[in-house]
Amino acid sequence: MKTYLLKRLLLMIPTLVGITFVTYAIVRLAPGDPIEAMIRSQTGNIDPKVMKESADRMRQRLGLIEYHYLRDAVDRRCGPAAEAGAGVRALRAGAVAIDKLYGIFLGYGRWMGHMARGDFGESIKYRTSAGSRNPLHLIVERIPVTATLNVIADALIFLIAIPVGLAAAQYKGRWVDWGSSLVLLGLWSIPVILAGTVLLGFLGKGGLGWNLFPVAGMHTPGYEKYGLIQYMADLLWHVVLPVVCLVYGGLAYLAKMGRASLLENLRADYVRTARAKGLPERRIIYHHALRNSLLPMITTMVLTLPGLIGGSIVVETIFSIQGMGLLYIGAARAYDLSVLMAETLIYGFLVLAFLIIGDILYAWADPRIRYE
Amino acid sequence: MNERTREVGEMLAGPPRSYASIVWGQLRKRPSAMISLGGVLVLAVLAVIAPFIAGEVPIRWVQDGRASWPILRYLTNAEYSGMLALALALALPLTMRFVRPRAEAAGASPWLRAVAIHLGAWLVVTLTLLAVREPERRYGFFLERAADVESAWFPPIAWSHDPGYEELAHRDQPPSWRHPLGTGRLGDDILLRILYGARTAMTIGFVAVGIGSTIGVLLGSVSGYFARRVDLVLMRIAEIFMFIPTLVLIIIILAVIPASVPPLWAVVGVIGVTGWTGSYRLMRAELLRIRTEDYITAARALGIPTWRLLLRHAVPNGLAPILVGAGFGIAGAIGIELTLAFLGLVQTPSWGEMLNDGRQNLEFWWVWGSAGAIIFLTMFAYNLLAEAIRDAIDPKLKI
Repeated sequence: MKTYLLKRLLLMIPTLVGITFVTYAIVRLAPGDPIEAMIRSQTGNIDPKVMKESADRMRQRLGLIEYHYLRDAVDRRCGPAAEAGAGVRALRAGAVAIDKLYGIFLGYGRWMGHMARGDFGESIKYRTSAGSRNPLHLIVERIPVTATLNVIADALIFLIAIPVGLAAAQYKGRWVDWGSSLVLLGLWSIPVILAGTVLLGFLGKGGLGWNLFPVAGMHTPGYEKYGLIQYMADLLWHVVLPVVCLVYGGLAYLAKMGRASLLENLRADYVRTARAKGLPERRIIYHHALRNSLLPMITTMVLTLPGLIGGSIVVETIFSIQGMGLLYIGAARAYDLSVLMAETLIYGFLVLAFLIIGDILYAWADPRIRYE
Repeated sequence: MNERTREVGEMLAGPPRSYASIVWGQLRKRPSAMISLGGVLVLAVLAVIAPFIAGEVPIRWVQDGRASWPILRYLTNAEYSGMLALALALALPLTMRFVRPRAEAAGASPWLRAVAIHLGAWLVVTLTLLAVREPERRYGFFLERAADVESAWFPPIAWSHDPGYEELAHRDQPPSWRHPLGTGRLGDDILLRILYGARTAMTIGFVAVGIGSTIGVLLGSVSGYFARRVDLVLMRIAEIFMFIPTLVLIIIILAVIPASVPPLWAVVGVIGVTGWTGSYRLMRAELLRIRTEDYITAARALGIPTWRLLLRHAVPNGLAPILVGAGFGIAGAIGIELTLAFLGLVQTPSWGEMLNDGRQNLEFWWVWGSAGAIIFLTMFAYNLLAEAIRDAIDPKLKI
C-alpha cells in the first residue's frame, strides 16, 4: 500500500507538469498581445514608442519575453523579408516558430523556478490601487465559496441518489423503475444553462414568476453585521438555485449507476444464499446488497468531482458567484497567464488528490482490494 | 418457456444473423428508441434543407422571361456536402440490399461494404466540390436584382427579402401565422433561428464527435493493446486533457485559432480535439480485455502481423461501446457548444445564443421557450437512443 501510494504521488508530478505546460503553451501561442491591450486599457492610446517600452518592461516583469535570435540571424544573412524569395520566407517562418518554442520553454522553465520559490507572479486583470493582485491570494479567497457550493451539492447528490437507485432496483421493471429512469435521463438531458435560465426566470427576483430567490452572489449586501444564524440562513437562501443546478445532473448519473450496481449485487450468489437461509428481504437489501453497492458509488462520486468543479464554472457564471470557476473563466478570457497557471496548478492538484483519496477509500471500504 | 428462451431458440433455428442485425432487431422493439431515432432524423433533415425553408435567397426567380434557381448558386459547398451526407445515410439500407449477395459470397459484412462505398462516394464528391466550385457570396443577390421581376418563389419563412417589410417594426412579436414561433429583438424569425441553430448543433454533434472518437479509438487501441510503457505514456497524456476543465481548455484554444477560420469550424475542431478522452478510455479498457482473449493468442500464434491483428481482430471487437459513448457524446458536445454560445464566446447561430437572448427579456417567452424546448428534446432524443443502443449491446456496459 505504501509503495503504491508513493508511486501514485510520483506519477502526479508528470501529469501536473503536463497540465500546466499545455496551458502555458496554448496561451503563449495566442496571437494578439495581452500586455499591450492591458496597458491600453489603463492609460488609453499612447505614443507607440512609449507603449513599446512599457510593454517590454512589463514583459520582463511577467516573464513573457519573446525571442528573435534565429529570425534576426536570418534577416541579417538574407536581407529584409519583404524582397526575399519563397525559400527565404519559409526559412524565416521556421526561424520564427523555433524562436517561439524557445520562448515558451524558457518562459515555462522560469515559471517553474518561481513556483519552486512560492512566487505565483502577478495578475494582469485583477488590480487594485496598490498594484497587481497575487494569484494565490485571489484563489485562496475564492476557495471557500466554490467549496461550499460543491460540498452541499455532493452531499445532496449522495443522499438523494441512493434511495432513488434503491427503489428503482427493488421494483425492477415496474412503473417506479421505468418512471424514475425516464425522469433521470430527462434531467441528464437538461444543460445547466437551460436549468439556470428557467430557474432564474421563474423563481428568481425580477423574473416572471415568484420572487423567491436572489439572482446573484452568495450574500445580501451588508451581511457582515449579521449574527451566525442569520448569516447561515442568508447563505442557504442564496445557494438554493446554484446548488439545484449543480445537483440534478450528477444525481441522475449516480442514481442510474446505483441501480445498476444494486441489481448486479441482488443477482449475486451471496444474496441467493441469504434468501435460502431465510433472511428477511429488508435485511438482505439493506445489510448485504446495499453495502456492497455503495463501494462503486463512492468511486464514481470521486471520479465525477472534476466534472462537478468544471460544472461550477457555468453555474458561477450564470449566478455571478465570485468563486474559483468564475476566476478561471475570467483569467482565460483575459489571457491572465499567472492567474490561469496558478488556478490550473491548484485545480489539477485537487483533482489528482481526490482520485488518490478515492482509491484509498475504496481499499479501506473493501478489504478484498489490495494495491501492490 | 419464457419469452427470452423462445427468442434465443428462434435465433438459433433461423438463418445466421449478423451482430448488427441482432442489435437492430432489439432496437426495433423499443418504442422510445424508434421515436427518438425518428426525431433525430427529422431534425437532421430540417437542418440540411434549412435554406429551402427559411432564408432570404429566392428558390426560383423569373426575370426578362428567363427562369433561374438562385438558391442552387448560393448554397455553400458545405451545405451541398451535408445534403449529400444525409441522403447517403438514408440510402444506406438500399445499397445494403444491393451489395448483400456479393458480400455474403465473399464472407464480408454487407454493412461495412455499404458504409465504405457511401463514405468513398461522399469523399469524392465533397473533395471535387471543394476543388472546383466557388459558391456565390450571400447577399450578392440583392445587388443584381432588378425591378422587372416577373415572379419569384421565396422560402416559406422569408426573413429579410421583402423590401416593403420593416423588420424592426415586427420585433418581439408573439407567434403568429407569419412567424410561427414569433420574432426576436431584431425582428428575426425564431423558427428560422431554430433551424439554423439545428445546423450548428448537428454539425458539432456529428463532426466533433467523429473527430474525437477517431482520435480516441486510434490512441485507445494502441494504448490498450501494447499496454505497459506505451499505455503509461498515453494515459498521462489523456489525463492532461481530462484534468484541464473542458471549458477553460476550449476558451484558451479558441484564442489561438486565427480569426480567418470560420467560428463554426473553430468550435467543431476544438470540441473534437479536446473530446477524445472518453472514447480513449473506453477503447483502452476494451483492448486491455481483448488482448488476453484466446482468439488473439491464436491469431498471434498463426503469425498474423500486428497491424492486421489490430485492424481485423482486436479493434472491431471493441467498437460497440464506442458507438454508445458517441451517442452520449453527441449530446455532450451539443451541450458544450450551447454553453459557449450562451456565454458569448463564439459567434455562431446557436440555440445557446437564443437562450441568452431570451434570458434578457423573460416576458417574451417564445424566445427562451422555443430554444429551451428544442434543446431539451434534442439532447433527450440522443440520450434515449444511446441508452437503447447500450441496452441492446450489453446492459451491463458502464457508460
